[in-house]
Amino acid sequence: MSKLFPVQEIGSLAKPKWRTKGLRQRLSSQDLSEAEEWAAKLGIQDFHDRAKGILRTGDDKERVKAVLELSTLYGLRLFETTGLDNDGVGGEQQRVEMYEHVIKAVHGMNLLGHVHSFDNKYFNKGVAESKISRKHPVYLPEFLDVKKYAHRAVKVPITGPYTLVDWSFSGYYIQKQQANSPKTRKIEAKREFLLDIVEQIIRPEIRDLVDAGATWIQIDEPAVTTHPEPQEMELFVEAWNETVKGFNCKFSDHTCYPSEIGYKVLAEYAPKLDKCDQLALEFANRDTSRLGLDEDSREGYSDLNHFVDSGFSGEFGLGVAHVHDYTGNVSEGAGKSVGRDLIESPELVRDRLLFATKIVGDPSKIWANPDCGLRTRTWDVAFAKLANITKGAELARETYQ
Amino acid sequence: MSPEIQLAGIHPRSERLIELTRSYERAKSSWSQVEVQLEQETKEIIKLQESLGFRHFSDGSLAWQDQLRPITRSLYGVESGTRYSRWFDTNTFYQKPIVVGKISAGDIDPRSFLRTELLAGKVERKITLPGPYTFSQLSENKHYKNYADLLVDVALAEREIIQKLKNLGVTLFQLSEPCLVYQPYRKGFRDQSEVELALRAIRSVVKDNPADFVVQTYFGDGAPLLPELLDLPISGVGIDLFETDISSLSEQEKTSKAVVVGVVDSRESFIENPSWIADTARKFSEKLGARDLVFASNSDLKFVPQEIANQKLEALSKASELFEAS
Repeated sequence: MSKLFPVQEIGSLAKPKWRTKGLRQRLSSQDLSEAEEWAAKLGIQDFHDRAKGILRTGDDKERVKAVLELSTLYGLRLFETTGLDNDGVGGEQQRVEMYEHVIKAVHGMNLLGHVHSFDNKYFNKGVAESKISRKHPVYLPEFLDVKKYAHRAVKVPITGPYTLVDWSFSGYYIQKQQANSPKTRKIEAKREFLLDIVEQIIRPEIRDLVDAGATWIQIDEPAVTTHPEPQEMELFVEAWNETVKGFNCKFSDHTCYPSEIGYKVLAEYAPKLDKCDQLALEFANRDTSRLGLDEDSREGYSDLNHFVDSGFSGEFGLGVAHVHDYTGNVSEGAGKSVGRDLIESPELVRDRLLFATKIVGDPSKIWANPDCGLRTRTWDVAFAKLANITKGAELARETYQ
Repeated sequence: MSPEIQLAGIHPRSERLIELTRSYERAKSSWSQVEVQLEQETKEIIKLQESLGFRHFSDGSLAWQDQLRPITRSLYGVESGTRYSRWFDTNTFYQKPIVVGKISAGDIDPRSFLRTELLAGKVERKITLPGPYTFSQLSENKHYKNYADLLVDVALAEREIIQKLKNLGVTLFQLSEPCLVYQPYRKGFRDQSEVELALRAIRSVVKDNPADFVVQTYFGDGAPLLPELLDLPISGVGIDLFETDISSLSEQEKTSKAVVVGVVDSRESFIENPSWIADTARKFSEKLGARDLVFASNSDLKFVPQEIANQKLEALSKASELFEAS
């Protein structure tokens, strides 16, 4: 029997200060002091040699390459040290963020400026100004670095085509539509834009990654649950199936923070997604922070029933840790609230996994992960959360031994 | 008189303010630095409204982190801060209000609602608040056994908060009710009893509350509910023209109410042509028999960068002149 409740990350980690600064300007040894501290924790043996190289070089390109490579190595080692079974791509250290990183590599797209996402978080939103095409590979350089250093299995998260289109202004695509109704024009523009993104951007990316040895690609589609209308969901399924067609690779979907509808509609359409071996979903965010295996304590996981009812037969990546600010109470034994963070206890993680198993029925179908990427948390907090997920998965595993 | 133009919610922050708030998050800037920029930008938005001939002035709500938060923080029986939910079909999020006890109005922090000191000299002041139905629909109810009781209490509390805001000089209240028209996941939403509950809640907010109220619908088709909305004892009704097919509107008796035409799209970046805006608004007003039109964006402009939002307001202003000239 393979290991039950394997642990994975979802994508991003915060960018260390030295990584952000090192992309813009030369670093001093003082700038690298935080990196030195973490090098000891993460067992980065050749830190000093690498640091010397970074400090010595006067070539900007060389420095940026070395800084990105080092921060990727740090991310991989953080995941490894906290006991994860899959290293991901080291916390997406080589990406700006999930949207902008791709859009910058697309001819025909122009980034217009930042719009509000939540609290003091924003994203740089792009518009299609002409028919789109790919300028250069988006994820391949990062994957090649990851391949050099990863000790464990690797999953490559990429931003899905539906989300890229949904988060962009349609511009060129909407202005060329002829329908009288603004609503019809929007829908027709979206379909044309979406199919262009699939063919011109995403499939060439996957081809590059698979040719370079990627065996698991996670397609991030947070936007999909925001448009539950059948027409939109069919469009999502069409784009997904077109995206994965013909590739010999494991594919999974990550969708988080659905609108009021929850995951009900995604569950209905999930069985129609070709080659979708896993759905990694956010649940901890809407769960209580108290221990227990009863439905009230584990209310956040009730949407799993929809997937079981709809006949989705793949794995679930179960969100068992919150990734945003948390300012509520925490019951005894369930974890601790530190500043704006909740550190879930292993016991809370265990209860979430065991409750989900009751619904899904088969523990071998459940992976443990945070709700989403941990980029909004500090490395200390991310470390503590991931370490506790690993311990919680061990506790859950013990109940089956 | 040319159609009035109004802000319909939260205005986007500038790149400068965005950078400062991010810097504040990283503990590299102080909150007082953010405050200085907030104040300056609020003044600029007010100035822009003046230059475009607005009659009702808003402060742009630049400090609002989401559309519900100032109300959420002013209610007893409601907690927040543990959950984020997506704002309809956008890539923005709000802190979900969790109803844990009987709801009533608490003290309000006036500055969290409106920067009155920056609106000095403006007699007509507008604020945009979530309507009681939308607020209750977007909350998680852990206290009330009966949804109707929750809705009634939200309405009564909101009524009290509005009375306090009137003391700050607010004369026009936009009650945003996207949930009245956007609920594609709710089969049977058109159930008349629920619509009645929602309308009753709005009536209880405005009852004996002498101010102007507009109920704004957006992100969904406003046509089916329009006759009932026009029957409410309010001064105006707002419709999202990007989701409402004008041809599906039934012919109406002439209405004396103001109709707020959401005729620039807050979710697309291209700037609508003023002639198209004026033509579309004309077709709409003819169909509806509306004499008193207000031009606005279909919802908060926070979904586009500030420069684009400002250009959209300018397009509305030009469209208003074209409409009048024709």
